[in-house]
Amino acid sequence: MTEILGYAFMQRALCAGVLIGAVCAMIGVYVVLKGLSFIGAGIAHASFGGVALGFLVGVNPVLTAVVFCLATAWGIGLVARKGQVKEDTAVGVFFASTMALGILFIGLMQGYNVDLFGYLFGSILAVTEQDLWITLGLGMGVLIVVGLFFKELVFVTFDPEMAEVTGVPAGKVYFLLISLIALTVVLSIKVVGIVLVSALIVTPAAAAYQLTEDFQWMMVLAVLIGVGSAVGGLLLSYPLNTASGATIVLLATSIFFIAGMVSPRRR
Amino acid sequence: MENPTIVQLDHVSVTYQDLVVLEDVSLKVPCGSFLAIIGPNGAGKTTLLKVILGLVRPVSGEVRVFDKTPWELNGDRRRIGYVPQVMFVDLNFPVRVGEVVLMGRYGRIGLLRQPTATDHAAALRALECVGITDLADRPIARLSGGQRQRVFLARALANEPELLLLDEPTTGVDVTSTESLYELLHGLHEAGITILVVSHDVGVVASYVDGVACVNRRLVAHGRPDEVLGSAELAQMYGCDAMFFHHGRAPHLVVERER
Repeated sequence: MTEILGYAFMQRALCAGVLIGAVCAMIGVYVVLKGLSFIGAGIAHASFGGVALGFLVGVNPVLTAVVFCLATAWGIGLVARKGQVKEDTAVGVFFASTMALGILFIGLMQGYNVDLFGYLFGSILAVTEQDLWITLGLGMGVLIVVGLFFKELVFVTFDPEMAEVTGVPAGKVYFLLISLIALTVVLSIKVVGIVLVSALIVTPAAAAYQLTEDFQWMMVLAVLIGVGSAVGGLLLSYPLNTASGATIVLLATSIFFIAGMVSPRRR
Repeated sequence: MENPTIVQLDHVSVTYQDLVVLEDVSLKVPCGSFLAIIGPNGAGKTTLLKVILGLVRPVSGEVRVFDKTPWELNGDRRRIGYVPQVMFVDLNFPVRVGEVVLMGRYGRIGLLRQPTATDHAAALRALECVGITDLADRPIARLSGGQRQRVFLARALANEPELLLLDEPTTGVDVTSTESLYELLHGLHEAGITILVVSHDVGVVASYVDGVACVNRRLVAHGRPDEVLGSAELAQMYGCDAMFFHHGRAPHLVVERER
């Protein structure tokens, strides 16, 4: 098993895995506590449109996905905040329409593009050096922003009304949070895939939620579970000859169920 | 001499879509008063607080808080402490009592800054003030109703407010805790804080406050507790003949018969 670590593509995938596992889990803590799982899934599916657009115009699909996902996140946020429809309805509308745009873009392309499949379900082999740098850049960006606005993000997640009342710009912090979700989705799709990325955001944090009643500990545990699942899943997927994204997600899901069984929250 | 006015509402109306929640409400809260806002469920009491806090904008009328409109309070926000209804907060959120109380100061601390020793000291004083210093490290999921209410009161006090707004602070709290909470508020009032409390437990509230405002979409009555609570308007508001018996400190609302 150790010889696979010698391959450059595996080293790249592991680097990406550690980063993605950590960033997804950290953002996942806010997503789980604020009940934004569906928004996460919606933004993830929107990235399909972004990726397809990248292939169509011939730019790195990760870059077009960044623009696409941010636009979708803000779209959902604006529609939901206007109060015309409920948040989950807004997600439902964007969820399908951005996928539809993706399908439209693919139709416009000459011939069938195999790479697109890698984005849907994730692929270790697909991680190029350029992808790794983009992932690293976006990941560091997300980590730094979370660090800078740590107290505001916690407060707005816990009690947005009170945050607003005491002078914390709750609306802006909410948009910051959904933007961070969008960026996290984009930096993860190459390894875990569009279909599975929301699981990597939600599951480690959901497992950690069941293990502690302390916020900082929840974040630490979520990151450990996320990184552990990403690395473990990648290493397992090679000898088992399974899809990397699916293996990572199922490993995280197993940890979630084990956490549920030992949870001190059970009452 | 009349104290300066801290909150002033002039002909304020609020609607949610087509529903009129508050209509033509005018109210003056002088500095240093302890006012109860009572009224039946859905009467617009919570909305009234949210108007004062700047969370809800009226469709007509004027609101002044500390002589500014509530949404332009900026730095003066810290002069208001707010204790929302507990039921709107996720009580399983993984957070400890001490952190919740410190959150009260996050707005004042500002973006990109960490809480200083001053902030921690203020949070600790707030915990002491409500008598729950020993609970500082307890996760909020492991508190009784009365303890929880004190945590949210401490969070409001962490900002050293001059005006304290409480929304149904005794919902889901037992009788003993309710009375000790009001004793606590009484002490804060004595210390010079202006208090506005929304409540539907008319009886308990009456013995502590120096003014009662009855709200049922409109401001039905406003005055000293003994004037308001015996009034025909109150009986009319609750849709039944009501009488108050003064029994010890707390008058009790007795419903005589339904109409």
